[in-house]
Amino acid sequence: MLIGIDGATFDILDPLMDQGIMPVLQGMIDGGVRAQLDSVVPPLTPPAWVTLMTGRSPGHHGVLDFFTPSAPGSRHLRTLTSHHVTAEYLWQIASRAGCTVTALNYPYMTPPRPLNGYSLSGWIPWRHLRRGSYPAELFDEIKGLLGFGAHDMGMDLKIEAKCIDGCDPAEYLDWIDLHLRRERNWMDTLRYLRQKDPTDFIAVLFDGTDKLQHLCWRHVDPAYAASLSPADQQIHKRSLELYRQLDGFIAEIIAMAGPSATVVIASDHGFGPTVETFYLNAWLHAHGYLAWAENPPTDEAGEGRIGLEALSRLSFMLDWSRTTAHAVTSSSNGIRIRVRREPGDGGIAPEEYDGFRARLADELLGWEDPATGTPVVTRVWRREEIFDGPHLAEAPDLTLRLRDYGFASILNSDRLVRPRPYVMGTHRPDGVFVACGPGLRRGHRVEGSLSLLDVAPLLLYALDIPVPADLERPVPAQLFEPAWLEQHPVKVGAPTEPVRPLQSAARSTEDLEGEQEVLERLRALGYVE
Amino acid sequence: MGNRERVMETLTREQIFYDVRHLLDELKGDWDYEDEITHDTRLFADLGFESIDAVALAAAIEEHYQRHLPFAEYLADLVQQEVPDITVDDIVSFTFAHLGAPCTMEGVQR
Repeated sequence: MLIGIDGATFDILDPLMDQGIMPVLQGMIDGGVRAQLDSVVPPLTPPAWVTLMTGRSPGHHGVLDFFTPSAPGSRHLRTLTSHHVTAEYLWQIASRAGCTVTALNYPYMTPPRPLNGYSLSGWIPWRHLRRGSYPAELFDEIKGLLGFGAHDMGMDLKIEAKCIDGCDPAEYLDWIDLHLRRERNWMDTLRYLRQKDPTDFIAVLFDGTDKLQHLCWRHVDPAYAASLSPADQQIHKRSLELYRQLDGFIAEIIAMAGPSATVVIASDHGFGPTVETFYLNAWLHAHGYLAWAENPPTDEAGEGRIGLEALSRLSFMLDWSRTTAHAVTSSSNGIRIRVRREPGDGGIAPEEYDGFRARLADELLGWEDPATGTPVVTRVWRREEIFDGPHLAEAPDLTLRLRDYGFASILNSDRLVRPRPYVMGTHRPDGVFVACGPGLRRGHRVEGSLSLLDVAPLLLYALDIPVPADLERPVPAQLFEPAWLEQHPVKVGAPTEPVRPLQSAARSTEDLEGEQEVLERLRALGYVE
Repeated sequence: MGNRERVMETLTREQIFYDVRHLLDELKGDWDYEDEITHDTRLFADLGFESIDAVALAAAIEEHYQRHLPFAEYLADLVQQEVPDITVDDIVSFTFAHLGAPCTMEGVQR
């Protein structure tokens, strides 16, 4: 059993266990293993979960951000699907080994990959949730039997954006209720499938914690308890319901699993407070690296918006002929450097790249916030320091860590750093790992930390499946009793099966003329000026 | 006969319309949309799409034809030009324009 809890952090879970709000989790820790789980760099949901789901790092599985360039070198971004993941999911590996599997609410499972069991994808717009169902008829079964609402289970971008950009205080309680309902719908789905056809391996993801902690960090972090208004207290109480409900689900899943099963809880990253917004593209503009096009999107109200809504306009926000470096997305904290491809193009000359990149990194690290006199950028990684594998070239040239671990804004702003109107939550590298089951040590706290890459080999070992030789980490043997390991030696098997990405449709001259025809027709209809 | 001509022979605008309509027909019951999908059906005004739904539809079309298509550029252009809506026929025209490139029917889901 794998229970994913998006964004779970011991900074919140420990106080909740101390208060008796999560007794089942406490019991699981007492009878099993607990560790800090190191995320990927940057600690971002898509690459982190896919790392756990594949046992491969982002440069190998191909998911580096929420978005990816639509083609090599393109200024346009596109969202990802399972076609972008160039590694097998651990439930595929388990399927090939003859296990039956159920995988619910994990990202990038649309279109579904064939399995010896069931899957329903998370992270898909609710209107398209049906397309994430495997087998296809599963969706109607669940819909008919449970009467669930697709809207409550799938993604609604307007609602998702609120957890990053904030919302009206009057909306908080309804917003929390939606996530309580969403988690219940996924648990209902698991319950139904368990009753219908109990599979050997179950993986379910609950993502309400991440959303809640983004918007309501100050309502759940005990450090802010004394500063909560009566209205905030109400939000605090409702927020705790999410964790209480989750603890109940953990109890039910442990009971479903039975004493002979291994149960693993893992989060994709940790969490902590963010108190300010750093406007990275505005910084690059102020330092001569970036030129805005006319009327760039600006955080005029100074609300600390990071620019989620501006992503589709990214390619039009900049004067590319005078831009040498720009922030790609508001999620990756990454910078792309424009390297000239053809004589006469914009960007820097290829031979200048190393020196240019080093100077930019130094300048970022050396820059101090005028308000505090302290650096805002605390770490800069070169691409090859944190990524390797076939997708290396798709990664940003530089990736930044900010002093409050926040997401940088891609918007224009007259100030380069601005305090947030109120404390929100943001990702941290240290996630959680808890496991119990046969052979696992009891009451054991791991010295140091585990990696997301450790989870897939651990689960395959627990299922008695040979661990594919190309997974990047071995089974974390230190979690098991030595006698158990001796009786149950780790088996290493053949490498994972290759996953073929979709091909690009070639664009001929005639194709481009066809696109022009579409635009001309839209003009004729009055849609395009 | 070149690849392009072969595809033009087999993958017509009407075939693409049929495929897109089929994709939408499969989903529309979940949105409580009961009207027939036509060439003139508007994604935003009629089907209630948000931008992410247009992106998801694009991904479904790519999956169907087993090809990446430059929908990101197309949709970004429309956003930039403040086009208020997209019809099914616009999507069909765009897909037809781009699948005219070398591409056989191999792998296309039927």
